[in-house]
Amino acid sequence: MSIRTPVRRVGRRMRAAVVVAAAVSLAVTACSSASDDDTSSGTAKSKEDIVLVEAIRSLSNPYHANWAKGGQFFADSVGMQVQVLTDEGDSQKQLAQIRSLLSGDKTVVLNVDPNTSSDTQAIVQAVKDAGGYVVTQWNKPDDLQPWDVGDNWVAHISFDGTVSGYEIAKKLFEAMGGSGGIIALQGILDNVPAKQRFAGLQKALGENPNIQLLDQQTAEWTRNKAFQVTQTLLTKHSGKVKGVWAANDDMALGALQALKAAGLQGKVPVVGIDAVPEALQSIKSGTAGYVATVSSDAFWQGGVGLALGYQAATGELKVSELEQKDRAFYGKQFVIDKSNVDQYLTPPEASAYTSDWTDPFARNTGPIS
Amino acid sequence: MSGTATTLAESGATGPDARPAAAAAPARYRFVRRALNAGPVLALILLCLLFTVLNSQFLTVGNVRGIADASAILLVLAVGATFVILLGGIDLSVEGVMASSSLVAVLLAANDRNGNDLGYLAVLGGVATGALFGLVNGVLHVRLRIPSFMVTLGTGAVGIGVATVLFGGQPPRLLDEGLRDWGIGRWAGIPRVVFIAAVVLALGYFLQRFTKVGRYAYVIGGDEQIARLSGIPIARFKVAAFVVSGTAAGLAGVMAAARLGVGDVQIGSGQLFATITAVVVGGTLLTGGRGGVLQTLVGTLLISVLANGLILSGVSPYVQKAVQGVVIVAAVAATMWTARNRIRVVK
Repeated sequence: MSIRTPVRRVGRRMRAAVVVAAAVSLAVTACSSASDDDTSSGTAKSKEDIVLVEAIRSLSNPYHANWAKGGQFFADSVGMQVQVLTDEGDSQKQLAQIRSLLSGDKTVVLNVDPNTSSDTQAIVQAVKDAGGYVVTQWNKPDDLQPWDVGDNWVAHISFDGTVSGYEIAKKLFEAMGGSGGIIALQGILDNVPAKQRFAGLQKALGENPNIQLLDQQTAEWTRNKAFQVTQTLLTKHSGKVKGVWAANDDMALGALQALKAAGLQGKVPVVGIDAVPEALQSIKSGTAGYVATVSSDAFWQGGVGLALGYQAATGELKVSELEQKDRAFYGKQFVIDKSNVDQYLTPPEASAYTSDWTDPFARNTGPIS
Repeated sequence: MSGTATTLAESGATGPDARPAAAAAPARYRFVRRALNAGPVLALILLCLLFTVLNSQFLTVGNVRGIADASAILLVLAVGATFVILLGGIDLSVEGVMASSSLVAVLLAANDRNGNDLGYLAVLGGVATGALFGLVNGVLHVRLRIPSFMVTLGTGAVGIGVATVLFGGQPPRLLDEGLRDWGIGRWAGIPRVVFIAAVVLALGYFLQRFTKVGRYAYVIGGDEQIARLSGIPIARFKVAAFVVSGTAAGLAGVMAAARLGVGDVQIGSGQLFATITAVVVGGTLLTGGRGGVLQTLVGTLLISVLANGLILSGVSPYVQKAVQGVVIVAAVAATMWTARNRIRVVK
């Protein structure tokens, strides 16, 4: 900054002019945004007025990468583009990105995996205010329902974690021969899937008194943390750990490496959830000890969320006429072990899902209780 | 050099003829300086005693080995970060650099994505990636005068971005068993990663004590204006410190890839906070000018012992993070207790 820049004093006339200009511009903006709201909600839209958006955690894990691909399958089937937003686990960032997209003039059809349950309300409210259509998946508060908020929140899809946690636990106990000690690696303790899956494990433990839960720790869904935690637990209960239950594949794969480092690879069975390709290959090889995983079919999740919103936006689906069981429902899950892993090893073709895009409720296994 | 606020003469900045003034200082000052540095060590010993009482398994060979293994990668990161923090700067790009270097290393070595099989050259590639990021950090910070906080935040994001592109949706698996052995194998019962970390620590100490890069880091961190006025070419040494930090992060990324068997964008997640905590808890001031790699070693051990001990003593996972936070604040307060009157500016 040069010292020679003269300091000018703002005179009275100048100040008055600035104030008037500010007032006029505020009034103009207010008028224009008010008129936008009236035209965008309720009426059926054509393809040109719609923009498809996916909002997920990141593209750097196979689950969400498959989700994005599924979204692309749907978009290709209707001849549109899809935009992918990634928030890297940052709730504020997710909301800000969605808001900035909503401020455009097209109708937004959003398929979102909210970062935590507490974020869902802000997201659906923002979409409703902008006249868009949203489908949420996995996380929402228990007492907040789509029909309470309005037709713009088309549906909430989740997967019963108690079922998946229970099923893999059963497979694990089977592989252990029905008795022994296990350790459990939980996801982020606040997440709905983490809590549900652990409840499923506890239900299975209740049915199998010969299995003891030696310890349970959170590895926060990540491979790195799971490695460290498993290492510590293997020391703490050395010799007693006969099985590892992990709430997702990433953590199970980290635990597998810790078992390998301890010389226990193949001797201690491991289970996870998500059906990432690495886990599927591990199950197929049979040597690593990876016994089972569960697929919620991320491709389906990525596409069906957009399909529901798109049909609502074009008027093909009348949201107000849907029953509650179709507005908040559990999707289908597939337990994968050595016997059926082959059919999941190759990534699916877009054609496998065309019937799901026309009937998005085909995999509705029941309302969320 | 024990790392308290030093005069120019003590830091050796005035040339080869200056005798270390430490020998001329009264014994009383030397004792006070030692006592100030003892805080973290005392805290570490206290924690170890506490956890041994709570669970006798804490001091078993297997567990100590586990703690050493868990500390190795963190120590490599923290030693590199120490040089930047000594300058008074900070390096927030470690997670991004680890991500990029792990992917570069895995994609150059034998992997399940392409036909490369460069073996140890892949390690060199990963480390060089880290050095490159460090160079970019340093040059942008010095030439464009962007605060290190902002520059490293930006390059960290670039690192994640580059890693995501290389990642391509699925982590490439490292199939080179020789390299995997460096991550999870042992020599004479000690995990190999611990040997790597020990070598890095020794190199770091050598850099800090016997080279200009290390000694001038103290001067620049202590008072940059005085350093500039006394004619030290600050830019050069700042860039060097960032290169050291980036190289360490690159090596840490390769070590993590060897351990987990994949190149992954999330491979460094959570390490930034742990690294900075390790450096600060050890006694290195965030404002720079004081501390060192030996202090960082103590800080790293404190963190690993804490994480390990909490699991061993059966503290509920719902409460562990809170307990870790409390202990770390207490440890830093204990370290700074005797010095708090002397530190006039707290940022």
